Amino acid sequence: MHLDPAYAAAVRGAGPLPELAERERSLLRAVDPRALTVDPYRRARAVHALLEEYPATAALLGVPAVDAFFSSAAFRTCVFEHGSMAMSFGTWLGGQAGGPGRIEAAIAHARRPRPGAGEGLACNPCVAPLRVPKGSLACLERMRARLGPDPATTLATARSAREKPPRGPDREPLLVEAGPGGEVSLGTASEPLVRLLQFAGDGRPRAELTAEAVRLGAEPHEADELLAGLVADGLLVARGP
Amino acid sequence: MPDFLDRVRALPRLGLGVSTEYGARRQDGALDPLELRRRRPDCAGFLEVGVEVVKGLDDDARAWAAAGLPTTYHFLDINLDEPEDFDPEWLAAVRTIAGELRPAWLCGDAGLWHLGRRDRGHMLLLPPILVEEAIGPLADGLQALREATGLEVLPENPPGAAFVGDMHLLDFFARVAERADTGLLLDCAHLAMFQRARGHAPRTGFDGFPWDRVVELHVAGGRVHDTAGLAWVEDDHGTEVLPDTWDIANEAARRAVNLRSIVVECERNPIDAVLPLFDRVAALWPARGPEAA
Repeated sequence: MHLDPAYAAAVRGAGPLPELAERERSLLRAVDPRALTVDPYRRARAVHALLEEYPATAALLGVPAVDAFFSSAAFRTCVFEHGSMAMSFGTWLGGQAGGPGRIEAAIAHARRPRPGAGEGLACNPCVAPLRVPKGSLACLERMRARLGPDPATTLATARSAREKPPRGPDREPLLVEAGPGGEVSLGTASEPLVRLLQFAGDGRPRAELTAEAVRLGAEPHEADELLAGLVADGLLVARGP
Repeated sequence: MPDFLDRVRALPRLGLGVSTEYGARRQDGALDPLELRRRRPDCAGFLEVGVEVVKGLDDDARAWAAAGLPTTYHFLDINLDEPEDFDPEWLAAVRTIAGELRPAWLCGDAGLWHLGRRDRGHMLLLPPILVEEAIGPLADGLQALREATGLEVLPENPPGAAFVGDMHLLDFFARVAERADTGLLLDCAHLAMFQRARGHAPRTGFDGFPWDRVVELHVAGGRVHDTAGLAWVEDDHGTEVLPDTWDIANEAARRAVNLRSIVVECERNPIDAVLPLFDRVAALWPARGPEAA
C-alpha cells in the first residue's frame, strides 16, 4: 500500500481481495490513507533499486515500464511470499526486454543463490546458464556502456533507447557466474555445456546427467570424467542424500 | 537464566551517548563522535553504532571501537518476527561485528526493516503490526537473537506515520518485553509520532508500562509536515526537538529506574549546533548522570 496507491485504494474499496483475510483488510482500512503518502519518494527508491540491477532493460523499455512492476500482482505476490524484488521483476519481465532482459534477470538470480530441493548433481546456484537470441550480450554491453557508471541518473534524464533487442532465431549460449561479494562474470560458453547445466537445474541423478552429457556429444567413456571436472570447477554441485 | 530485572543490574551505566551509522559523516558538517568525546566527554559516553551487516562498520565506528570506548550495537537489518532472517551468514556477521565493537547490548527498531526477504533494495523501516498475534513472533525473535549473541537485546519502538493494528504501542511493547523477558529502548521522538498519529496526548499509556524494563532512551529532533491536512512528524534527527518529545523524555527519565543510557540522535549536525541539546537532555537525568564519561 505504501508503494502502490492503486492497491491501497483497492484495499479500501469493496472489491474482492482474496489475498487478505477480512481482519487484515479491516486493520488496513483503519489507516488514514494520507499517512501512506507522506514519503513521496518511497516508490522512486524501489524503482531505483531495480534500475541498478536492470539498467539495460530500463534503457530498452523506459523507466515507466520498470515502475509498472510495482503496480503488478507479481510485486504483491513477491511481498506476500517474502520473495526477492529483483528476481520477481525478472520473472514478471519475461521476454519484454529480449535477451538483455533475460541476461540481467539471470544475473539477479545468480547473485541470490538459494539451494534447490533436488538431489544428485545440480547446477551451482551461483551460476546461471542461458540461451538468448544471438547478439544479446553485445546489445547488453552496448546499452550499459552508453549508460555509464551511474545508470539510474542517466536513465532519469535520457530519452528511451531506440535500439531494439535482437529477436532472431539463432541463439547464443551464455554463462553468468556470481562471486561471493556479488561480483559477476558473464561470457559465452559452449552450447552443450549450457544445455547440460540447464538440464541439471536443481538436481538430477548422476546417471541421468551422464546420459544427457552423452546425448549432447560427450564420449560415453569420458562422461563421468566430464561431470567430475564440472564439479571441480564449481559449475555443478553435489546434493544429498 | 535470571529474569531481566535481575540481569539489568549487570548492565553498565553508559550515560549520554551519540549515534552513528555507516557513512553518516559523509555529509558536510556532520558530527565527529571522537571529536565530540574529546571536547565534551560527558556528551559522548558511548557510541550507538547502527549496523547493516552488508555494509559493516565505517571508519568512525572502527576508530571508536579501536580506542576501546563503550558502544551499543543498533541493528538496522532484521525483521525479528521472521525466523528466516536469522540465517547463519547474518548471525555470523553480527557476531563478528559485535566482536569488534564489544557492545554493552544490542538494540534496534523492532519493526519491518525490509519488505519481502532481506535483499538489495528491500530496506525500509515500518512499525510492527500492533495486534496480539504479532507479540509472540517478535518476542521469539528477541530471545533467539539474545541466545545467538549472548547479549541483551532491547527492542525499540519504531517511527511511522501510519500504524496498523488496534493496540497502543506502549501496551504492545510492554507485552513483547514481558513475553521475551527483556529490557526496552524507548525512542521518545518515535513515541511522540505515534501519539500524534493516534490523536493521543504525549503521555497516554504511560501508566501500566513497565518502566523498570527501560534501559535506554532516544531523544531526537523532528519536523512537523502537512500532507493533505494530516500533520505528521519527520524523524529528521535535527536539533529542534518537538515539545511532545521533551514531555515524553522528561517523564520517561523520571520513571525509568533502571535507565542506563540516553542517546541524542543528531549524527548529521555540527558539534556546536548540538551541544545545547545535549545539555538539555543531561538535565533530564541529573540524579544518575553520565557516569561512563
